[in-house]
Amino acid sequence: MTIDAGEMALVYLHCECYKNVTLDKLHKRWLEMRKVFYSAILLLAGVFFMSACGGNNDDERQEVTFENVRLAFIHPGNIYDRGYTYRQHDGTLAMAAALGIDPETQIRNFWTRLSPDEVTTSIEEAIAWGADMIFATSFGHGPPMLEAARNNPDIMFHHATGNLAVDANLPNFHNYFGNMSQARYMSGIAAGLRTETNVLGFVAAHPNSEVITGLTAFFLGAQSVNPDVRMYVQFMGVWNNPTLESQIAQALIDQGADVLGQHADSPATQLVAQENGVWSVGYNNCVIAEAPDATLVAPMFVWEIYLNEAVRNFVEGRGNPTDFIRGWNEGMVVLSDFNTNTIAPGTVEAVVTAEAQIRAGRNVFTGPIYGYRNIGPQAWSDTPEQLLAPGEEWIEPMSAPSWAHRVSGIIFLN
Amino acid sequence: MDLLVLFINAAVIAGTPYLFGTMGEILTEKSGNLNLGVEGMMFMGAIGGLLSVSLLESGLGVDVAPGLAVLLAVGVSFLAGAAGAFIYSVLVVTFRTQQNVTGLALTIFGVGLGNFLGDFFGRRSDTGIVRISARAGAGFSRLDIPVLSDIPYIGPLFFNYNILVYLGIAMAIVLALFFKYTRIGLNLRAVGENPAAADAASIPVAKYKYAATCIGGGICGIGGMYIIMVTTAGGVWIHNVVAGFGWTSVALVIFASWSPRRAILGSMIFGALRVMPFYFPANQLITVGFISFTMPNIPMQFYAMLPYAMTIFVLIFTSIRPNRETNPPGGLGVNYFREDR
Repeated sequence: MTIDAGEMALVYLHCECYKNVTLDKLHKRWLEMRKVFYSAILLLAGVFFMSACGGNNDDERQEVTFENVRLAFIHPGNIYDRGYTYRQHDGTLAMAAALGIDPETQIRNFWTRLSPDEVTTSIEEAIAWGADMIFATSFGHGPPMLEAARNNPDIMFHHATGNLAVDANLPNFHNYFGNMSQARYMSGIAAGLRTETNVLGFVAAHPNSEVITGLTAFFLGAQSVNPDVRMYVQFMGVWNNPTLESQIAQALIDQGADVLGQHADSPATQLVAQENGVWSVGYNNCVIAEAPDATLVAPMFVWEIYLNEAVRNFVEGRGNPTDFIRGWNEGMVVLSDFNTNTIAPGTVEAVVTAEAQIRAGRNVFTGPIYGYRNIGPQAWSDTPEQLLAPGEEWIEPMSAPSWAHRVSGIIFLN
Repeated sequence: MDLLVLFINAAVIAGTPYLFGTMGEILTEKSGNLNLGVEGMMFMGAIGGLLSVSLLESGLGVDVAPGLAVLLAVGVSFLAGAAGAFIYSVLVVTFRTQQNVTGLALTIFGVGLGNFLGDFFGRRSDTGIVRISARAGAGFSRLDIPVLSDIPYIGPLFFNYNILVYLGIAMAIVLALFFKYTRIGLNLRAVGENPAAADAASIPVAKYKYAATCIGGGICGIGGMYIIMVTTAGGVWIHNVVAGFGWTSVALVIFASWSPRRAILGSMIFGALRVMPFYFPANQLITVGFISFTMPNIPMQFYAMLPYAMTIFVLIFTSIRPNRETNPPGGLGVNYFREDR
């Protein structure tokens, strides 16, 4: 009796199912069934072959118009996070409404795609669906997006928060971002005026330069109105984990912080502040409904500023810039409405003053700034050095924020 | 207040959902059913408990009293968790499906159902969120027991938690006594150890398995409700709120070696490990009593790994010295066919 590999597999399966059946009976069964088995394989191969041939028939693309352009969005979370992705999707819908694009049929969203293989699969799905432009919205989406841009020169790839486009210099790979530091700075003013213990707490996601730039701008804003302020920062290592966010927020409050800031995707920090009777500054969504007695204000992105321009440029045959950044003056970053029940007296006036300066071109990162160069072990050395001389400005080299120094007064707790 | 007291406080509060999940799973596994659907049942309990209060409030247009909110949330989250476990019991006990696969399917179902209902009712509400009123939420905040809570150190350490913490610990003690001293408890253990022998002793095996699994699932559901009401503060639905508590609870069952008393200790240790990095931050001079020290900068991921590493160590130690007390129930994970005897 000879047994081949397919037979072995079947024998194994049968042994699992019918433990009492003898090998002879199994062999007999195999002989009965092998025709079915082989014809099923043939059928599958045929289907595969036909679908592979059939896939190539839309070689000649129609001219792209607003009525037929197809856009795919890859998000790290979903709109129910009531934070970052929620805000991103708001921008998508606003862009669709402005340009007359049907969000049901012409836009496809891929939610909660974080790991590179998930992103790669989503890109493949989007291409198979016929996407003309693919947008990815999380920093970690960068490498698979770049890879796909190299392999698909006909499709436009747009990556928010990323930093790979300048070096790659491909015609179809773009980075875009808003200058969040400006809005962060202004929200920091609200925090600096509100605090009574002069200790701020910051629930931070990843220890990367996007987060550090943001929290530094927030701190500089607070410091500009309250020179005695200090800020504790705890990093999580993930973008979105409500439990972790709330436990860290509680710990920061227990260590004396009375105004919390956040660079994390859920509103948990705001809720903990509400529960403890302290204050908080949101991010991307002002959650006055959730935390009416805690939330002061929230800095937010307005993504449609870029999306409108990028989609219009593409459809009308103009190119898009490799690296795109807009800020406060163009409305790419804004502040939410102030929560008038919680802000300290004089907050609106102080923010209006700062806003006028920023509108006139004042850089948030203007010296003198003291601190510790680079994060890493040396960031805990004892003597701060001068990072920026008085009057010296630090100009962001590209759209992705890249400030990575610890300013005196900010304390990294991990 | 002393940092150590605050830390222990936070550890107990962080550990309590593990306690509920672990207790529920211990009760389930004592009947011989290995239900890996804890995460799913926690999600079902979380959304059930939250919706029961929030829908009642929006339906009646009034804020529910704190005591009623707690009763309602505990009751409905128990029922929701038990409903999840009932699906599992029907499949596993009656239809004898493979236990691991069924548990995993229950997790997928529960996570999906919880997120779906939370997001669905959030979208339908005026504010865009599902939440309970501040008045109802007060039922889940820290108790302030007169006199007792004011004793220095003792008060904040023992008499300053929310009511669910005491409920959890009381349930664990009751469960331990139940397994050891009651006839039903001993019968249940017999069913888990050797269902054929129990059957021969005319113990209704299927009934016991159903009851233990459903009640266990209900207790897991209370754990999920605790996460939404206490851990993430204030009874607001947040997408993916349970985020792994159920899986950690399954690991804790092994850590506690199927003993509800050790589950209390284990869940507090797991809670402590979870919040430790936030209370003993790196590179800061920390003073606890008379001792001052500085913690090195240890990455978050290391702390996240510790509970699982400890579980592995416990597994190794318990297998070095085989001991009847720390063994899993003999019939765990195996479906019982009377005709197979």
